[in-house]
Amino acid sequence: MIRNALFILYFIFLTIPGLQGQWVREQGKGYYKLSAWSLVSDQHYTDTGEIDPNATRGYFNVNFYGEYGITDAWEVVAYIPFFSRTYQNEQISGTTSEVLRAGESLNSLGDVDISLRHGLFRQGPVVLASTLKFGIPTGNDSAGSDGSFQTGDGEFNQTVQLDVGIPFRIFSYTGYSRAYLGFNNRNKGFSDELLVGGEAGLNFLKRRLWLVGRMNVVESLQNGSHSVQSNQGSIFANNIEYISLGAEVAWYLTERWGISLAYGGAVRGRIIYANPTYSAGVFLDIR
Amino acid sequence: MRSIYIRLSVGIIFPLPMLIIRCAFLVLSAVLLSSCIGEDIVQDFVSPELRIENPLQSLGLDESYQFEALYLNNVGKPEPVEVRWFSEDTSVLSIDELTGTAIALSRGQAVVVANTLTESPVTTFINLQITDETVSLNPEISGSITSSGSYRLTGDFSLRQSSQGSLELLLADNYEASSSLPGLYVYLTNNPNSINGAIEIGRVIVFNGAHSYDLPAGVSQTDYNYLLYWCKPFSVKVGGGTIN
Repeated sequence: MIRNALFILYFIFLTIPGLQGQWVREQGKGYYKLSAWSLVSDQHYTDTGEIDPNATRGYFNVNFYGEYGITDAWEVVAYIPFFSRTYQNEQISGTTSEVLRAGESLNSLGDVDISLRHGLFRQGPVVLASTLKFGIPTGNDSAGSDGSFQTGDGEFNQTVQLDVGIPFRIFSYTGYSRAYLGFNNRNKGFSDELLVGGEAGLNFLKRRLWLVGRMNVVESLQNGSHSVQSNQGSIFANNIEYISLGAEVAWYLTERWGISLAYGGAVRGRIIYANPTYSAGVFLDIR
Repeated sequence: MRSIYIRLSVGIIFPLPMLIIRCAFLVLSAVLLSSCIGEDIVQDFVSPELRIENPLQSLGLDESYQFEALYLNNVGKPEPVEVRWFSEDTSVLSIDELTGTAIALSRGQAVVVANTLTESPVTTFINLQITDETVSLNPEISGSITSSGSYRLTGDFSLRQSSQGSLELLLADNYEASSSLPGLYVYLTNNPNSINGAIEIGRVIVFNGAHSYDLPAGVSQTDYNYLLYWCKPFSVKVGGGTIN
């Protein structure tokens, strides 16, 4: 019923990117963030899109996210969940208080993503950039008593993405908006995915406070042969789909340092957890 | 180097690096606390049940028979309790109150009643005929499975004695199950909400059409009253059906 490894990664990206439009950072400039991210889920979207309950599972990680301008047109982006944890609650009889199933957990490195972003086009306020992302299976894709405790999906995937962005103004407040279209090429029999989304950010208090809203859509191309049944107890499901919404508040304590809080969750989906994710972090924005 | 200080609303002044460290520490602490293994309470109460394990259709005149009873507690697990046996018409059938040994005295209809001596007594009974021969009651054991959530799970099933003498679970042509679930298993149980005390039949590998499972030796038709489909990795019921 239940899978979400990639789903989790997308939710992470739902909340992590730096506060900028779509253009790459200038040479030597960067955005670095240390975050903690958490999801505790006791329900999920089933293969029919409805919500069913499940034993409570928790996922969290402490991660580093960084964007660094190699040149004025190229930047490298890294997401490194250097500590990932997944666990399941103990199942206790409500009648006898007996432990029906002991709790379990797994701590390990998560899957690392490395991206290259290239500024393609800039015409007036409209900018266009492309991203090539490599999902590296550094996490653990099978652990626990039944192999279902995982911090990675065990497959090497590549995503190409095109971003377009336009700044805007509402009264005296300036902001940015961007939209993207991507294709995620997955291996090991997982279906490829079409990625569509967008975000808009608005700043207040002379750019000290940013409010950002995001939406991500993942559509499976249903072309994979991977079956959950081929992997004993695996919860890394294939053909995950969802529409997620998220929001982030970022507060610049100084010109460079700041803190952020983010929230995200799927409002519609298939084979994906139906609880919200939270993240909080400290960032350094070298502009 | 110029130091940067942040004044919080309560009037405390922190140097910026210290504030950032504190923020990071608070965030990590909060997340670490939220990632501790907690407890899920499973609502697994079922009404206690007393079951006559070896019912008869008829008992031969002047023959004796040893009835056996099985008490299932409020989570559907067998529990030894004291049982008292009665016959509604002692001129037709007499029964030893303590042991459950019955003797057929005259032809006619008999009712065997069993009670537990528990705090909340549980009663069960069977009807049988006193005739010329003893005939075991081998009821047609069947049922229908339905989904308890939104995953597709439907079909009819039956339990029957295989040619090797063991029991066999047969799923009918109209059986259908979602293949989206990882770790879907099928069990026989006396508690529809738990696999505690259940017997695992096997991992589900057929998702459409008729098929069968061999049940472990020693399992009898009256041992369990529910066929349960369970997603093992996520400890959640997917569906099932009462064994009629």
